[in-house]
Amino acid sequence: MKFMRLFEYEGREIFAKYGIKVTPAVLARSVEEALKAAETLGYPVVVKAQVLTGGRGKAGGVRIVANRAELIEHAGRILGLVIQGEKTESVLLSEKTEIAQELYVGATFDPQNGLPALMFSTSGGMDIEEVARTTPEKVLTMHLPPTQPVRGFRIVDFLRGSGLPADLLPKVAQVMQKLIEAFHGSDATTAEINPLVVTPQGEVVAVDAKVVIDDSSLARQGIVPRFEAGTPLETRARTKGLNYVQLEGNIAVLGSGAGLAMATMDLISHYGAKPACFLDTGGGISSEKMAEALRICLATPGVEAVLVNAFGGINNCEWMGRGIANVIDEDKPTAKILVKMRGHSQDEGWKLLEDRNIPIVKFGTTEEAVQKTVRLVNPNTRNCGACSGPQGKGA
Amino acid sequence: MAILINQKTKVLLQGITGKMGGLHTKYMLDYGVDLVAGISPGKGGTKVLTVPVYSTVPEALEHTAIDATMVLVPPYAVKESAIEAIESGIPLVVIISEFVPIHDTAYVKQLAIERGVKIVGPNTIGVISPGKTKVGIMPGSIYSPGPVGVVARSGTLTHDIGATLTEMGIGQTTCVGIGGDPIRGMDFIDVLKEFAADDETKVVVMVGEIGGTGEEMAAKYLETGYPKPAIAFIAGQTAPTGKRMGHAGAIISAGTGSSASKYAALAKAGVTITKTFTEMIAAVRKVLAAENKIAGKQQIAGV
Repeated sequence: MKFMRLFEYEGREIFAKYGIKVTPAVLARSVEEALKAAETLGYPVVVKAQVLTGGRGKAGGVRIVANRAELIEHAGRILGLVIQGEKTESVLLSEKTEIAQELYVGATFDPQNGLPALMFSTSGGMDIEEVARTTPEKVLTMHLPPTQPVRGFRIVDFLRGSGLPADLLPKVAQVMQKLIEAFHGSDATTAEINPLVVTPQGEVVAVDAKVVIDDSSLARQGIVPRFEAGTPLETRARTKGLNYVQLEGNIAVLGSGAGLAMATMDLISHYGAKPACFLDTGGGISSEKMAEALRICLATPGVEAVLVNAFGGINNCEWMGRGIANVIDEDKPTAKILVKMRGHSQDEGWKLLEDRNIPIVKFGTTEEAVQKTVRLVNPNTRNCGACSGPQGKGA
Repeated sequence: MAILINQKTKVLLQGITGKMGGLHTKYMLDYGVDLVAGISPGKGGTKVLTVPVYSTVPEALEHTAIDATMVLVPPYAVKESAIEAIESGIPLVVIISEFVPIHDTAYVKQLAIERGVKIVGPNTIGVISPGKTKVGIMPGSIYSPGPVGVVARSGTLTHDIGATLTEMGIGQTTCVGIGGDPIRGMDFIDVLKEFAADDETKVVVMVGEIGGTGEEMAAKYLETGYPKPAIAFIAGQTAPTGKRMGHAGAIISAGTGSSASKYAALAKAGVTITKTFTEMIAAVRKVLAAENKIAGKQQIAGV
């Protein structure tokens, strides 16, 4: 399961939809658009890089500008600015807000008990993870069982010990109640406002938005998946629903599950070789998906061998074997391929591979398969006690 | 004994008429599972192989007792199916389906806690008590009956550990895949407690992976004094920092959730930590050999 981060401007739209007051803002993709936006908002305006990575402030991606000349300079500079490897494609222009106090509010799941949690801190505008690490007493957490309705008075009650003055309690509690509604309603894994600003007039307004959506819910939210920057092969794999991470080694790992693939990688390193990539097919794999997974592994730069480590549980060995066989027949790959595969319809799957002289580990362990694969690329490898030879089939 | 399920367990399959449902009906019957009924709204009154199909869980309960259900429905239908099972009072709900929205899992988990129902999953291979029964999608043939309890996050790694133990002649009481999602029903702690109370289980093998806090929470529990030897293996020891390795939880960040932190916490709790399968098998053999000596029995076959 994975998550999709939203840009600030997208998060703001969700917050606004749930009735949270956000500072007026306009998105711009060019200096011209920025100038037009500033005219409607009025100077001074805040220019903020729209990137998915954190730390944009430190990287110079946020700037308050007082006039047209400054805007041309800084919008021009920030558009295209690379922040932690991510190129800034757009900027958000927003009204500058008068600040009396900066708060932090957030909603997420507590991994310890699986419950939605609302968090609050008076140390807003700062790196909240750092605040939580160094002064945990400054971050208050309230759990909200999803089977129970969220009661406003409970949030007010929770905030009583926070140091907020009484007149602010209901205002902040209302934002938090709307935040948890937005969190549930948008299938978010994180919904954060940092800072939530209290103005000198006592208004409470969100000036930033950080929302992360659960990948499994994108379809029902009507959100088109957006793939974060990766290598061309990583992007290709993601569009096919495969989990793939490109690495810098010579043995590609193709596993029918993340845990198995990770353990296989660990063993490859243990036996003196390096994984070229990690590929997890996930469950419910068709022969077409298996073929695509194998092709991506074979296309990985530096790959000398592919180790397929798969179980026919929800998958089926015949379907997987057919996918591998099709790649062998159609592409005639030069890299070596070794398959360890067991489970449902294993005899049918094995036969397809044996007909094409693909080495198979039938009943052996992952360790044995790893040792054999390492030996395929480096025949002088140490510690190959259990190996019956690199060409050994059906160990 | 085994935990959670045994040869007497009457099993329901929710989603029996789907492609996967039909396939696994056959696999389960082949394994000898007492598959008493299946659910498919709109197809009540039909059969899948020998198994009667009902429209709702309450309807099935009019015809048979049910001890456990396996949920194998599309991801967005899981919440409704699980609620139906929980509200019908089925004590064990095993959710196989992958890509279940995390908000749905959170709701189902909380409802189950309130109703005293045990949830396994989602995104799991399920549970098998080898030689007795299974409520899951694992190939039964790679597991074998014996004295080792296995609990793992990763499904395919559960298969691999089961298969490796079986190859080495070491059987298992029950193997539980707790699932790869960041929020899940039973966690390591809950399964460890079940194994603690099971006479047949002589040693527990715990298979974790990087990311999340389940292993560390289990370590805290084990530190208070566990009645059986425990052996741990953590996958992802060489995963590059910050790279996504497939499971949401499996992201190393800021030193928490790393294999090093998990191994350290478990070692402190008195768990035998192992870095390869060979080490893990050796540790299991050693424990069983010692167990054998104490019991004054003859050597367990294959150990």
